[in-house]
Amino acid sequence: MRGVLHGLVAETSRVAIVDLEAGLEHLSRGTARHVDTLLVVGEPYFKSLETAHRSFTLARELGIKQTRMVANKVRTPRDEDTVREFASRHALDLVTVVPYDTAVTEADEHGAALFEHRPDAPSVAAIQRLADQLLATAA
Amino acid sequence: MKIAIGGKGGSGKTTIAGTLARVIAARGLRVVALDDDSNPNLALTVGVPAGRAIALPGFPRDLLEEREDGQGQTSLELKIPTEDFIDRYGVRAAENLTLLVLGQPSHGGSG
Repeated sequence: MRGVLHGLVAETSRVAIVDLEAGLEHLSRGTARHVDTLLVVGEPYFKSLETAHRSFTLARELGIKQTRMVANKVRTPRDEDTVREFASRHALDLVTVVPYDTAVTEADEHGAALFEHRPDAPSVAAIQRLADQLLATAA
Repeated sequence: MKIAIGGKGGSGKTTIAGTLARVIAARGLRVVALDDDSNPNLALTVGVPAGRAIALPGFPRDLLEEREDGQGQTSLELKIPTEDFIDRYGVRAAENLTLLVLGQPSHGGSG
Protein backbone atom coordinates (compact mmCIF):
# COMPACT_ATOMS: atom_id res chain seq x y z
CA MET A 1 0.00 0.00 0.00
CA ARG A 2 2.78 2.40 0.85
CA GLY A 3 4.37 1.66 -2.51
CA VAL A 4 1.43 3.36 -4.21
CA LEU A 5 1.87 6.42 -2.08
CA HIS A 6 5.57 6.54 -2.83
CA GLY A 7 4.68 6.75 -6.51
CA LEU A 8 2.73 9.93 -5.82
CA VAL A 9 6.01 11.77 -5.42
CA ALA A 10 6.89 11.07 -9.03
CA GLU A 11 3.41 11.58 -10.41
CA THR A 12 2.27 14.81 -8.83
CA SER A 13 2.73 18.04 -10.74
CA ARG A 14 3.37 19.82 -7.44
CA VAL A 15 6.67 20.42 -5.77
CA ALA A 16 7.09 17.42 -3.45
CA ILE A 17 8.96 17.70 -0.17
CA VAL A 18 9.40 14.37 1.60
CA ASP A 19 10.41 13.94 5.22
CA LEU A 20 12.11 10.55 5.20
CA GLU A 21 12.32 7.95 7.88
CA ALA A 22 15.30 8.70 10.12
CA GLY A 23 18.36 6.59 9.50
CA LEU A 24 20.20 5.22 6.52
CA GLU A 25 18.65 1.79 6.23
CA HIS A 26 15.42 3.20 4.82
CA LEU A 27 16.96 4.98 1.86
CA SER A 28 16.91 1.88 -0.29
CA ARG A 29 13.15 1.59 -0.34
CA GLY A 30 10.29 3.97 -0.35
CA THR A 31 10.07 7.53 -1.51
CA ALA A 32 13.78 8.28 -1.75
CA ARG A 33 13.99 6.47 -5.10
CA HIS A 34 11.46 8.82 -6.65
CA VAL A 35 13.11 12.15 -5.92
CA ASP A 36 15.53 14.23 -7.93
CA THR A 37 17.35 15.65 -4.93
CA LEU A 38 18.20 14.11 -1.59
CA LEU A 39 19.08 16.59 1.14
CA VAL A 40 21.11 15.05 3.92
CA VAL A 41 20.95 16.96 7.18
CA GLY A 42 24.09 16.79 9.26
CA GLU A 43 25.17 18.38 12.49
CA PRO A 44 28.64 19.75 13.10
CA TYR A 45 30.12 16.85 14.99
CA PHE A 46 32.09 13.93 13.69
CA LYS A 47 29.57 11.10 14.07
CA SER A 48 26.82 13.05 12.38
CA LEU A 49 29.10 14.11 9.53
CA GLU A 50 30.27 10.53 9.07
CA THR A 51 26.65 9.39 8.85
CA ALA A 52 25.96 12.09 6.30
CA HIS A 53 28.96 10.94 4.30
CA ARG A 54 27.65 7.37 4.27
CA SER A 55 24.27 8.65 3.07
CA PHE A 56 26.00 10.23 0.08
CA THR A 57 27.71 6.97 -0.77
CA LEU A 58 24.52 4.96 -0.40
CA ALA A 59 22.48 7.46 -2.41
CA ARG A 60 24.99 7.22 -5.23
CA GLU A 61 24.74 3.42 -5.18
CA LEU A 62 20.96 3.67 -5.27
CA GLY A 63 21.07 5.97 -8.27
CA ILE A 64 19.53 9.01 -6.59
CA LYS A 65 20.22 11.80 -9.04
CA GLN A 66 21.60 14.44 -6.75
CA THR A 67 22.56 14.48 -3.10
CA ARG A 68 23.31 17.70 -1.23
CA MET A 69 24.14 18.39 2.36
CA VAL A 70 22.49 20.81 4.74
CA ALA A 71 24.41 21.57 7.91
CA ASN A 72 22.11 22.22 10.85
CA LYS A 73 22.48 23.54 14.40
CA VAL A 74 25.71 25.31 13.59
CA ARG A 75 26.59 27.35 16.68
CA THR A 76 30.01 28.86 16.14
CA PRO A 77 32.40 29.84 13.37
CA ARG A 78 34.42 26.84 14.45
CA ASP A 79 31.37 24.58 13.88
CA GLU A 80 31.01 26.06 10.43
CA ASP A 81 34.70 25.48 9.66
CA THR A 82 34.34 21.87 10.79
CA VAL A 83 31.42 21.30 8.45
CA ARG A 84 32.93 23.10 5.48
CA GLU A 85 36.25 21.34 5.91
CA PHE A 86 34.58 17.92 6.13
CA ALA A 87 32.35 18.60 3.13
CA SER A 88 35.22 19.80 1.01
CA ARG A 89 37.50 16.90 2.00
CA HIS A 90 34.84 14.36 0.99
CA ALA A 91 33.47 16.33 -1.97
CA LEU A 92 30.03 16.65 -0.39
CA ASP A 93 27.91 19.36 -1.98
CA LEU A 94 27.14 21.57 1.03
CA VAL A 95 24.21 23.70 -0.02
CA THR A 96 23.26 25.60 3.14
CA VAL A 97 24.45 26.16 6.69
CA VAL A 98 21.53 26.57 9.09
CA PRO A 99 22.49 28.17 12.40
CA TYR A 100 21.57 26.80 15.78
CA ASP A 101 18.45 28.75 16.65
CA THR A 102 16.50 28.90 19.91
CA ALA A 103 13.42 29.85 17.85
CA VAL A 104 13.18 26.19 16.78
CA THR A 105 12.71 24.83 20.31
CA GLU A 106 10.60 27.87 21.18
CA ALA A 107 8.18 27.12 18.34
CA ASP A 108 8.14 23.49 19.39
CA GLU A 109 7.25 24.39 22.96
CA HIS A 110 4.39 26.52 21.65
CA GLY A 111 3.21 23.67 19.45
CA ALA A 112 3.59 26.02 16.49
CA ALA A 113 5.21 25.90 13.09
CA LEU A 114 8.57 27.68 13.11
CA PHE A 115 7.57 29.50 9.92
CA GLU A 116 4.52 30.99 11.65
CA HIS A 117 5.98 31.43 15.11
CA ARG A 118 9.17 33.24 14.06
CA PRO A 119 9.21 33.95 10.32
CA ASP A 120 12.14 36.32 10.94
CA ALA A 121 14.26 33.70 12.73
CA PRO A 122 17.83 33.13 11.50
CA SER A 123 17.05 29.46 10.81
CA VAL A 124 14.11 30.46 8.59
CA ALA A 125 16.35 32.92 6.74
CA ALA A 126 18.78 30.07 6.08
CA ILE A 127 15.96 27.86 4.79
CA GLN A 128 14.87 30.73 2.51
CA ARG A 129 18.39 30.65 1.07
CA LEU A 130 18.11 26.88 0.73
CA ALA A 131 14.90 27.35 -1.26
CA ASP A 132 16.67 29.93 -3.47
CA GLN A 133 19.41 27.45 -4.23
CA LEU A 134 17.06 24.56 -4.92
CA LEU A 135 14.76 26.61 -7.14
CA ALA A 136 17.71 28.07 -9.03
CA THR A 137 19.06 24.59 -9.76
CA ALA A 138 15.67 23.20 -10.71
CA ALA A 139 14.91 26.03 -13.14
CA MET B 1 11.03 19.49 -8.15
CA LYS B 2 11.05 16.43 -5.89
CA ILE B 3 13.11 16.67 -2.75
CA ALA B 4 13.61 14.16 0.03
CA ILE B 5 15.15 15.14 3.34
CA GLY B 6 17.00 12.59 5.38
CA GLY B 7 19.22 12.49 8.40
CA LYS B 8 19.60 11.00 11.81
CA GLY B 9 16.81 11.31 14.33
CA GLY B 10 17.24 14.59 16.15
CA SER B 11 19.19 16.22 13.32
CA GLY B 12 16.35 18.65 12.69
CA LYS B 13 15.40 17.14 9.33
CA THR B 14 11.67 17.48 10.03
CA THR B 15 11.94 21.16 10.94
CA ILE B 16 13.90 21.78 7.77
CA ALA B 17 11.48 19.76 5.62
CA GLY B 18 8.39 21.48 7.01
CA THR B 19 9.83 24.97 6.91
CA LEU B 20 11.17 24.46 3.39
CA ALA B 21 7.69 23.37 2.29
CA ARG B 22 6.19 26.52 3.83
CA VAL B 23 8.84 28.77 2.29
CA ILE B 24 8.33 27.36 -1.22
CA ALA B 25 4.52 27.45 -0.90
CA ALA B 26 4.72 31.08 0.26
CA ARG B 27 6.49 31.87 -3.01
CA GLY B 28 3.40 30.79 -4.89
CA LEU B 29 4.33 27.27 -5.98
CA ARG B 30 1.96 24.41 -5.22
CA VAL B 31 3.59 22.06 -2.78
CA VAL B 32 2.76 18.67 -1.31
CA ALA B 33 4.60 17.80 1.89
CA LEU B 34 4.84 14.06 2.46
CA ASP B 35 5.60 12.57 5.82
CA ASP B 36 7.27 9.22 5.20
CA ASP B 37 8.56 8.81 8.72
CA SER B 38 7.04 5.97 10.76
CA ASN B 39 6.96 8.41 13.63
CA PRO B 40 5.15 11.15 11.75
CA ASN B 41 5.53 14.69 13.07
CA LEU B 42 5.86 16.81 9.96
CA ALA B 43 2.35 18.19 10.61
CA LEU B 44 3.48 20.56 13.33
CA THR B 45 6.27 22.16 11.30
CA VAL B 46 4.05 22.73 8.23
CA GLY B 47 1.44 24.34 10.46
CA VAL B 48 -1.24 21.70 10.89
CA PRO B 49 -2.51 21.96 14.47
CA ALA B 50 -1.96 18.98 16.74
CA GLY B 51 -5.65 18.06 16.92
CA ARG B 52 -6.05 17.91 13.16
CA ALA B 53 -2.75 16.11 12.70
CA ILE B 54 -3.98 13.16 14.71
CA ALA B 55 -7.14 13.02 12.68
CA LEU B 56 -5.34 12.56 9.36
CA PRO B 57 -7.48 10.11 7.47
CA GLY B 58 -6.50 6.74 6.18
CA PHE B 59 -7.84 6.00 2.75
CA PRO B 60 -10.08 3.21 1.55
CA ARG B 61 -8.40 0.29 -0.11
CA ASP B 62 -10.97 0.20 -2.86
CA LEU B 63 -9.23 3.23 -4.33
CA LEU B 64 -6.52 0.83 -5.39
CA GLU B 65 -6.47 -1.64 -8.21
CA GLU B 66 -3.99 -4.28 -9.15
CA ARG B 67 -2.29 -3.91 -12.49
CA GLU B 68 0.10 -6.17 -14.29
CA ASP B 69 3.14 -4.71 -15.99
CA GLY B 70 3.46 -7.32 -18.74
CA GLN B 71 6.33 -9.14 -17.08
CA GLY B 72 4.11 -10.90 -14.61
CA GLN B 73 4.70 -8.27 -11.96
CA THR B 74 1.59 -6.89 -10.40
CA SER B 75 1.47 -3.60 -8.67
CA LEU B 76 -1.18 -1.60 -6.91
CA GLU B 77 -2.20 1.61 -8.61
CA LEU B 78 -4.52 4.43 -7.68
CA LYS B 79 -7.85 4.48 -9.45
CA ILE B 80 -8.22 8.24 -9.18
CA PRO B 81 -5.90 10.95 -10.51
CA THR B 82 -2.93 11.77 -8.28
CA GLU B 83 -3.93 15.40 -7.74
CA ASP B 84 -7.48 14.40 -6.73
CA PHE B 85 -6.06 11.90 -4.29
CA ILE B 86 -3.81 14.51 -2.69
CA ASP B 87 -6.67 16.99 -2.40
CA ARG B 88 -9.04 14.42 -0.95
CA TYR B 89 -6.73 12.67 1.51
CA GLY B 90 -4.26 15.37 2.29
CA VAL B 91 -4.67 18.06 4.90
CA ARG B 92 -4.40 21.68 3.90
CA ALA B 93 -1.53 23.19 5.86
CA ALA B 94 -1.36 26.65 4.29
CA GLU B 95 -2.01 28.45 1.02
CA ASN B 96 -0.58 26.23 -1.77
CA LEU B 97 0.49 23.54 0.71
CA THR B 98 -1.05 20.14 1.39
CA LEU B 99 0.27 17.61 3.87
CA LEU B 100 0.05 13.89 3.21
CA VAL B 101 1.09 11.45 5.91
CA LEU B 102 2.35 8.18 4.46
CA GLY B 103 4.09 6.63 7.40
CA GLN B 104 2.09 4.68 9.88
CA PRO B 105 3.65 3.00 12.88
CA SER B 106 3.88 -0.78 13.18
CA HIS B 107 2.90 -1.77 9.68
CA GLY B 108 5.99 -3.90 9.69
CA GLY B 109 7.37 -2.15 6.63
CA SER B 110 4.75 -3.70 4.39
CA GLY B 111 3.58 -1.89 1.32
